[in-house]
Order: sequence, then C-alpha cells, then structure tokens
Amino acid sequence: MPAKPAELVQGTLDMLILKTLALEPLHGYGIGLRIQQISRGVFQVNPGSLFPAFRRLERQGLVKADWRATANNRRAKYYILTEAGRKKLKHETRDWETQTAAIARILAASMGEL
Amino acid sequence: MRRLRSVLAGFLALFHKEKSEQELREELSSYLQSSTEEKVLAGMSAEEALRAARLEMGSAEVIKEEVRAAGWENAFESCWQDLRYALRTLHKSPGFALLSMLTLALGIGANAALFSIVNTALLQPLPFKDPSRLMMLFEGLPQIGSPQIPFSAPDFTIFNRGQKSFAAVGAIQDKEFELSGRGEPDRVIGARVSASIFPMLGIAPALGRFFTAEEDVPGRNLAVLSFGLWQRRYGGRPDIAGETIELDRQPYTVIGVMPRHFVLPLPGAPANFLPAALWVPMAFTPAELQGWGTRYDLTILARLRPGVTLQQARSEGQALGAAIESQYPQDILKDFYGARLEFPVVPWRQEVAGPVRSLLLVLMAAVGLVLLIACANVATLLVSRAVARQREIAVRRALGATRARVLRQLLLESLVLALLGGVLGLLLAFWGKDALLALSPADIPLPQNVRFGPGMLLFVLGLSCLTAVLFGLAPAWHTAGTDLQQSLQEGGGRSRSAGRSRYRLQGTLVAVEFGVALVLLIGAGLLIRSFGKLLGTDLGFDPAHVLTMEIPLPAQAYPRAPQIRNFYQRLSEEVSSLPGVKQAGIADDLPLEAAVFHTMEIEGRPQVGKPPAVAETWVLGNYFQTMRIPLREGRLFTPQDNENSQPVVIISQRMAKEYWPGQDPIGKRLRQEENQPWITIVGVAGDVNDGPVGRPRQPHIYIPFLQLSDSLTADNVVGEARSMNLALRVAGDPAALASAVVARVRSIDPDVAVANLATMPQVVSSSLAGPRFNTSLLSLFAGFALFLSAIGIYGVLAYAVSQQRHEIGIRMALGARPRHVLRFVLAWGTRLACLGAVFGILAAFALTRLMKGLLYGVGATDPLTFAGVTLLLLGVALLASYIPARRATKVDPMVALRCE
Repeated sequence: MPAKPAELVQGTLDMLILKTLALEPLHGYGIGLRIQQISRGVFQVNPGSLFPAFRRLERQGLVKADWRATANNRRAKYYILTEAGRKKLKHETRDWETQTAAIARILAASMGEL
Repeated sequence: MRRLRSVLAGFLALFHKEKSEQELREELSSYLQSSTEEKVLAGMSAEEALRAARLEMGSAEVIKEEVRAAGWENAFESCWQDLRYALRTLHKSPGFALLSMLTLALGIGANAALFSIVNTALLQPLPFKDPSRLMMLFEGLPQIGSPQIPFSAPDFTIFNRGQKSFAAVGAIQDKEFELSGRGEPDRVIGARVSASIFPMLGIAPALGRFFTAEEDVPGRNLAVLSFGLWQRRYGGRPDIAGETIELDRQPYTVIGVMPRHFVLPLPGAPANFLPAALWVPMAFTPAELQGWGTRYDLTILARLRPGVTLQQARSEGQALGAAIESQYPQDILKDFYGARLEFPVVPWRQEVAGPVRSLLLVLMAAVGLVLLIACANVATLLVSRAVARQREIAVRRALGATRARVLRQLLLESLVLALLGGVLGLLLAFWGKDALLALSPADIPLPQNVRFGPGMLLFVLGLSCLTAVLFGLAPAWHTAGTDLQQSLQEGGGRSRSAGRSRYRLQGTLVAVEFGVALVLLIGAGLLIRSFGKLLGTDLGFDPAHVLTMEIPLPAQAYPRAPQIRNFYQRLSEEVSSLPGVKQAGIADDLPLEAAVFHTMEIEGRPQVGKPPAVAETWVLGNYFQTMRIPLREGRLFTPQDNENSQPVVIISQRMAKEYWPGQDPIGKRLRQEENQPWITIVGVAGDVNDGPVGRPRQPHIYIPFLQLSDSLTADNVVGEARSMNLALRVAGDPAALASAVVARVRSIDPDVAVANLATMPQVVSSSLAGPRFNTSLLSLFAGFALFLSAIGIYGVLAYAVSQQRHEIGIRMALGARPRHVLRFVLAWGTRLACLGAVFGILAAFALTRLMKGLLYGVGATDPLTFAGVTLLLLGVALLASYIPARRATKVDPMVALRCE
C-alpha cells in the first residue's frame, strides 16, 4: 500500500462507481470499499465525494436505488446499474482505453520515433 | 434526455425535500454502521471502531451540503433561503429599512420620472410611419449668417418641381382662426398643410378622410379636426364629418378627425411649432406663389425616397439652391448680398428635440447625481450596520459559509432594498412626471403624451439592480471579508482601536456625497443668481394694473384698411370710456413678445452690406401712457398723425444711440424701402424689453397705426394689422375688468373672438416661467442632495460616537474636557466635508460650463456662487456634526466603562 492514497483523476469516479455496480448491486459503503480493494488501496474514496456522485448518477438515470437488507440484516440503500448506465459505462471505458493508450504511447516515445 | 431527467428530478426534489433529506440521513447512518462493523470485524472494540469510522467519514453536515450542491435546485433553494433571511433581517430593523427604501425611492423615482420624459423627447422615434426617413427642409444663406430659414411659397414650389431625393414633400404653416357659429366665438390655432403631409406621416384618420391633392386648391374649404377639438367643441359626435363649421366667417366642411395622440406641428421646431387644433388645405393663392423674397414661414417636411441617403439628399439640396437662383427676379436676388442659396436637409427628429436637449440633459445629470448621493447614503448605513453584524457574519463563516456565499446574501439584501425602493420610486415617478409636465411652461416644448410602457419598467428594474450593486457591493465586500479570529475575539463586537481609520470607508462615502452635493448646489446656485438678475431687470415699462388681450379680425369681414382702422379706432375710444379704465392703447405686439423685425434705410447713411434690421411696433391710442414707457425726447403721437399727415416715427433710445450717436435724432428721417416715403423721427422713447426677459434689447421703432399704408393693412395673408393687442391701464385689479371689456368689444362686433386675455404681470410672469422652472427644479434636486448628505454625515458620526463611547469614556476619565471631545468630533465632520468640498469644487468647475446656455448675467464659474455655496455646505456639515458631537460630550465615563 502506498504511503498516501492517490488522487482520483478528475471525472473518473463516476466511471469507477459504474464499473463496481456492473459486477453487482452494492450499498454506499460497499462501493467505497470495493473500489479501495480492487485498486489495492491506491484509491480511497471519501464519502464527501461518493455521495454527491451517487446523487449525480441517480439524477442522470445511470443508476437507480433500492432499499434492501444487508448480509447483517440491516436496511441499506443499494445502487443498481440501469441499462443507460451500462451503455454509458461501455462508452466511457472505450474512451478511457483510447486515451490511456495514447498517453502511454506518448510517454513511451523515444527520440527515434519523433 | 438525461439533462431533462435531471431537471425533472430537481423539481421533484424541490417538492419532496423532506423525503430526500430523510433518505440521505438514513443512507449516511447506514454507511457509518457498515464502516463500524467492518472495523469491529478487523478487531477493534466497538467504541474504537465507531470513533474511527466517524473520523474517516468526516462531518455528516458537510457531506449533506455537498450532496445538496450536486443538484441544480440547490442554488435556487439557497437563494430563496437567503431572500427570506434578507426579508427577515430587514423586517427586524424597520427604521433602517424604511429610511434606505425611501432614500432610494426618491432617487430612483426622480430618475425614472425624468427619464420617461427624456425617452419620449430625445430617444423614442417620432410617432409616425418609418420616422427615420422623415426630414425637415430649410432654405439657407450661410454666408450672411442665416444657415436655416423656413421656406417661401415660390421657393417651395420650384424646389418640389426640381427635387428627386424625396418620395413626398409637403408644407405646413401655423394659422390662427376665428371659430364661430355655434356657441361662443373661439380663437383656435390651426395649420395649413399640403395634401401630401398626412399620407407622408402614415397616420390614418380616426374618422372620415383627409383632403386629396385635387382638393388642395384655393376655394375648397375643407377641415380636418383634432381629437381634442372634436371632443371639446362638438362633444365627440360621430356624425361630425360632412358638417359645416365657420372659420374666419367662411363655411368649411369637416371631412375627418385625427386620432387622439396625433400632434402636428410638433413643438420644438424653429417656426410653425404650435400644435394645431384643426388642419385646412395649404391651397397657395396666386399672390403667395408670386411672393418672391417675402414671407419665409413655411415648414417643409419630406420623406426620403427608398435607397436615397441623407448625404445624397443634402448634395441635391445644395445643387438645387444654385439652380433656383437663376429663376429669381433680379431685384430680389440682390437682397442675398452675394450669399449662395442652398437647401439644408435635417432629420426631423433632430429639429424637434433641439431646444430642450440641453435642459433635459442638465436635469438628467442632476437627478443622476441625486441618485448617486442616495446610493452613497444607503451604503454608509449598510457599512454601519455591517459593523454591528460582524459577529453574525463571523459565526456564519466559522460554520463553513464561504466568502462568496456571505457576499451573495448581503448583496441579496441590498437587492431587496433596491427593488422595494424601485417599486416605490416607480409610483413616485408616475405621479412626478405628470407634476413635472404640468409645471413645465408652454415655451419649453416638452412632450405632453409621456406614457409608461414596459420600457419604463425595464428601466426601473435595471436602475434598481444597478443601484443595489452601487450601494451594496463595497459594504458587502468589506463585511464578507470579516476576519474571523479578530472579530470573535473582540467579544461584544466593540472596537477598541482608536481613531478614524476604522471608519475610512464610511468617511470616504460621506466625503463623496458632499462633493456631489456641492456640484448640484453650485449648479442650482448659479441658476438662482441668474434668476435673481432676471427678476431685477428693468423692463422699461410698468406692468402693474395693465390688462391686455388680442382681438383678431377675420379677413372676410374686414377686407380693407379703412374697415380695420375704423374697428380698432372705435375699440380704443369705446374702452377708454369704461369706468375704471385710465388709459387705453393698441399695438400689434406687446412688450416681452418678440416684435417683428424690418430692414430700414437711414437717410444719409451709405448702404453697405446688410441693412439695419429693427423691431417695429404699430401703435394706436395712448399706448405709451398705458404702458408707462417714458418719453425721453420730442413728442408722442397724436390723433392728428394719420393717413393725411406727414409720416412720423418714434424711436427707442437704443436705436438713437446706435444710429445717431452724439446727435439729436429728432427730425432725422428713415424709410423701409427705396420707393416708400421718408418717415420723420418726432420722439425718442425709453428702451423696452422686446423679447423674453433677459434677452438683449434691440433697436426699436414705433409707427402710428393710422399711417400704415393700405397695402400693408389690407394684405389678405399677413394679417398682422388684423390681430392687434388692446392694453388698458386700470384703477385696481385689472382681471376684475376683463368681462366688461370683452362685453364692450362684442358690442362693436358680436362675432369677434378675444384671445390671450391676461394681465401684464401675468405676461411678465409667464415670460419668466422657463427660467423659473429650471431654477426651481434644479434647486429642488440640490436641496434634496444637501439634505441627504447632511443625513449621511450625521449618521456616520452618530454611529462612530455610539461605538466609541468606551474610548471617549476613558479619555474623559483621564481628564479630557467636554470641549475637547466636542472639538474632536466636529473637526472630524468638518474634515470630511472639506475633503468633499475640494472634490466638488473641482468637479463643478468642469461641469457648470455645460449649463452656460441656462445662465443670465452670471459666469459659469462665478466665484461668489462657488464661495457662498461652499460655505453653506460647510455650515450644514457642521450643524449635522454638532448633534453627535454634543452626544459625545454627554458620555458619562463611569457608565461607559461599566457597561463593558
């Protein structure tokens, strides 16, 4: 685990949340935890950014909410990816891959290629 | 689609706020629980886990705030909150709210009222079809100083034949009519207009029709009535069209009525500016069309042909001038003294606005300054309040409000104040502009049909917002930046820092207020001084106990000179015998009226360049005695100076001094034209104001009415000799005798109309109406400015004193005497006023020259006015500072210290 959790690249949080929900519906804490786990602790998302993001995604119809019982039999608000959300995620992922590949190429460039 | 859904969700959230808040709370608490459970599983004790989870999550309130901020409805919501908060705050300090609101209402109201007039007079297009293409045409002889003169009939005809730039050209001429027949004979102002005029303006008649070009010929007696005349005299009967009315004792057929707001001619033009009550065909007579070089009194309107520019029309006007000269009779052409004739083309709009432009701009500037002072005043109030609210603001900032949020809330408070002030101001303006227009004298051609449209609402709204920023921004900025630490530590929000630096912003505002007020006061002072000079001018005659009226005779009933002479001679005798009448005289123009100028040839004086032009008055009866115009030399006229005796003239002193300096003018001779007989000077009379009070006096001659040549008197058109004025010097109140005199006039001819019935003091007073209007208006604004700035300085000092009671208490406990305290506060106030005065004097030096045209006998930088007004201002400042200063000396050191 790095000494300091990395800052999320601007605008990627929404994408990460959508990806997390693509695997299974989760509640708020679960989503934060899942992101932290999958990134192996690189990203630690605090609730101050998480909850506004939920509200945003809900507003845009990318996720919908459902109050369900947790494993410990408590009520929690679960977020579920909608069809629109799935499309959006696909789109975003493609964009992201194109961009990172391009960036990687630029960073890897040696004198000879220029 | 997504955006739409987001907007919809926002609306839903607005209405289901409670539900979504509840959900958020639950969600957060569930988050906390999950987090705690996780940590317990990792081996923490329940207590430790909860603590760690709380720490990790941070403030739930902050998260909620951020979640709320994610939706657009939140901005709206928080604005609404701020608005309610602002209203509550204002409600809690009604004194402050009321004072600022009234101050703003007066400032905004004055601006709105004046702007509504300026808008109609200067900005709005004329109320006709495609008004920007409407032009006014003139004749011009620029080389001899006559760049714009009205047209003569023959010149108009030739011009119209030759021009190609205009789609339509038409002439207008004022003409007064005796309207008789049914009811009391009435004098109405009418106009002769070409048939092309009405279609050119594109206004349809409210009733009936206009006359056609075929009907625009002599002998077709048709009339179109104004809405006002139709209502007033004919009760608005719809069957008026086709009816016959009697004008100058000739039958005229009414063919139409114009709409209610139609005005023609428009006031403000250099000639033919009296709005007409009825219009008749221009119908030039053959004599008029042959009147070369005479009677330049036609106003010409024209509509530019599509595609023709003003520039093209102007160059055509210049070319046509040269072409027309070749058609002029040679003996007329020599009167041009070598000047080249041209035809200037001026946009109609410009001609109409001309005379009131500078007055309106000066007044507009004045009310603008008043508003500025009002803003400064409210700003000082706000700053004072802000100091008291420092703790409140500091707490809000400590709880997480950003500077921008506090700024927004404070500005919203200002906006609420300004809008409330604006609403009040609008009411004030609505009433004020009517008062203003009602007070404005007839010789200031302000538009009378000023209406409040949506444009005015927009103006007031914009002005209110602007004022809110103007008076709210500086205090809000100042307050929103409040230093948390310092102001919380300061405990009660009291200041312990000594001196004036804490009050720098308020002090600056007050100094600015005084500066601006001084500019206004100096402007008003200059006008008051010139008005005083106007009142003090020696008119050259004695207006007291003189009754005057105009008695015009219609040409149809009085076609020839003998009939006219008989009527006026008989009139003079009849009214002289009335009990109470001491003297009676008749003249074609009265003092203070612009007399008609005529060129003269003086015997023995070589004719070079332009001949002398002198004012000429025809008199009958005891005119000089009635007006008490003193005779300086020679003799007055007698009844023996008639058509059978040698022609004589009385000249004014000014004339004598100018043309016979150092000589005795009695016995010298002059004549009006080469082929006219010489006239001998028999007397010299005192100078009389022959124009508005304040205008320099012109050389003047008086000619016996009975010696006028028949051709002059009987001229069918001019009719000057047919509208003579009767003047009576009476014992007691002249107004009381009016009806007896009118009855005596009617006993000679029952159909004759009596016009302009007025006492001479009334005439004098109305001649001063223009300057009086300007002076009182500007004085009113200046007084308001002075009052506001006095309140401003009082407010700041009173506030400072109340805030510094503690410090004053200590000083007094340490041995300061009341007079030291008094001096300290007074010196402070005076210093602010002096600072303002320096700024004001500099600004006034730059600005007062703009009002040169409104001044009489006083320079625009008159040192006496500047000094006097500055002293007045300083006096007021001292007085306003005295009250808080006195209060400061009353501070009881013990009380002041104990209340800590």
